[in-house]
Amino acid sequence: MELEAVFLYLSAALAVGIPALATGWAQSRIGPAAAAALAEKPELTVTVVLLIAIPETLAILGFVVAVLMLMQGGG
Amino acid sequence: MSRIRMLGPREQLQAVLERVQDLGLVQLVEPTETESLTPLGLTPEQERHVRGVRKIVKDVDAALELLGETPRPTRVAGELELPQAALIAGRCRRELEALAEQRQQLEEERALILKFRPFFAAFTKIGESGLDLDGIRVFYLILKEDGEEELRRMRAAFRQALGDGFELLSQPSESGESAMLLAVPSADGAKAEQLLSEAGVQALSLPDQFEEESVGGTIHRMQARLEKLPAELATIERERKRIAGERGRDLARIQATVRDLLATIEAMEKAVVTPRAFVLEGWIPSAVRPDLDRQLGKSFGNQIEIEAVSSEEWSGDTVPVVLKNPRLFRPFEAITGMMPLPKYGTVDPTPFVAIFFPMFFGIVLGDMGYGTMLGILSLILRIRSKPDTKLRSVSEIGIACSLFAIIFGFLYGELFGDLGHRIGLHPIIFNREEAFFPFLGLAIALGIVHIVLGLLVGAVKMFRGDKRRALGKGMAALMVVLIALALMAAFDMLPERFFTPLVITALAALPILIIGEGVLAPIELVSTLGNVLSYARIMAVGTASVMMAVVANRMVGAFGPVWVGILFGLLFHLINFVLGVFSPTIHMLRLHYVEFFGKFYSPGGSQYQPFRHWSARESASAERSE
Repeated sequence: MELEAVFLYLSAALAVGIPALATGWAQSRIGPAAAAALAEKPELTVTVVLLIAIPETLAILGFVVAVLMLMQGGG
Repeated sequence: MSRIRMLGPREQLQAVLERVQDLGLVQLVEPTETESLTPLGLTPEQERHVRGVRKIVKDVDAALELLGETPRPTRVAGELELPQAALIAGRCRRELEALAEQRQQLEEERALILKFRPFFAAFTKIGESGLDLDGIRVFYLILKEDGEEELRRMRAAFRQALGDGFELLSQPSESGESAMLLAVPSADGAKAEQLLSEAGVQALSLPDQFEEESVGGTIHRMQARLEKLPAELATIERERKRIAGERGRDLARIQATVRDLLATIEAMEKAVVTPRAFVLEGWIPSAVRPDLDRQLGKSFGNQIEIEAVSSEEWSGDTVPVVLKNPRLFRPFEAITGMMPLPKYGTVDPTPFVAIFFPMFFGIVLGDMGYGTMLGILSLILRIRSKPDTKLRSVSEIGIACSLFAIIFGFLYGELFGDLGHRIGLHPIIFNREEAFFPFLGLAIALGIVHIVLGLLVGAVKMFRGDKRRALGKGMAALMVVLIALALMAAFDMLPERFFTPLVITALAALPILIIGEGVLAPIELVSTLGNVLSYARIMAVGTASVMMAVVANRMVGAFGPVWVGILFGLLFHLINFVLGVFSPTIHMLRLHYVEFFGKFYSPGGSQYQPFRHWSARESASAERSE
């Protein structure tokens, strides 16, 4: 495998991996607070689901960027 | 929604309220105009009556809660004697509270015995060791799980302090800890106690209530008690069931009646009166206003006057809201209903949700196989659910989503992933396994359409009130379109010559945007463009779904025998189906609530709650939550 291809795959992996870690970290902070809020106000379920889904944008955009890199690089 | 004022002779107030409650159309509120009118005060006798009714409500609510299995509230046939109702409710409450207390005591007793049970066998076994306990002091101890080393150390310490004048027996218990018996001559008791305290060993203290002369006796008593407890608990349960059988219906009937009575009393407090007349005000959906006129006219002739209260006398914030949509869109009110209700006079987004939610869902799932599975499940759910319930709404949303999933599955040529391609299905628009760019383009284009639509709805809504902000919203929509077109021209998707005019037009529109929406408008515009990019999730989640299905299909032949591969493949498809339904639902909800609603939605409306019979309201809310 050429060095260029190695860097391409590595970059694509980082492009999706780092935002996924960031998403995980954000959700790890939201989750406990959300669980505590739900224990007191179960009617907040929708808000909680949305709050947990919001950081997923990072991972999704990371995924899109990774795909773009692989497609543009011919991977 | 109309605000109405009802006027009539004071002596008819009670009868009018009862009729209004029967009809269940009007949400009563405090009157706006109270000059020369006084609130209806209660005489001391009436106040006593109200207190009595409230007491019955409290008793009957508590009794029914303790009863657990509440029968459906029923409307009352004939008059209910209040004193008799008070007697029944009070007696049932007392009996049920006594039973609940007894049960709680027995359960606590059982929990206490169970805590010590792991040590019963161990101590009984030690007791059977034939040790002569006369004239010596005995300690019953518990050692933690890793007690082997501890035991050796203690034995050494006791040997050093007491020589051979002690006996130390140990036996592992069910809980993993060790039960231990230490016997020392009575004279050495204090010394042994000190040694134990220094070693930090926990002495077993058995509950006082079972105390006998010896630990063996206490344990025996606790065991005997544990055997008797289930029978005593069963007796209490039988008694509860007896009361439920004998009095359950009576209690439900009393509850419905006194709740209605209380509602009428509370409604009376909203009436204002003159020496001869009363005035009631309330909200009623405009469409049913003629029904109210007709029904009250039929009951009271021309004694009751109903007039509309002019809109100058009330503000929009106080108007209750009821969502009303065509039958096809109505199930999607469940999605809108998960958000706080929209304010009166603002836009109900349900029709937009009904169009875009299943469409987006179908674009993401986009598989004829999974779509059919979802359709079948939704149909089963629809057959098994009752009309006007949440489950019915969910099943109908599921059917709409499955139809779109089948349509887009056909357009992508997908049937359980790439299985469709293998049996001759061909993609009509694009193949999602390879066409990332077209799919991403479709997702972003849908985002632009959705966001621009949201901005335009917001602009139209604002046009009647704040024209300047309406212009700003409209301009933001235009800017999103211009930027999107300019980007298309820059990436050769449109002729390059369009690029410069589009950029110039966008720059020219910027000042108008700032005038309309303020100096923060450019930042808001960047955020809006971010919202558009968020629609890339349609492509991302969709691609993940199809790739999972492809992996499931490739498992056949990848695990030795074909049947193992087929089994794994089916399992993976099942997992993918669950994920494929759950994930798009969450993401499409997010796109609607955050990206789309954020452009125009004004929450803060209060639910329309007409004054009606309590039993009717309870039945409706019970059905809705099913």
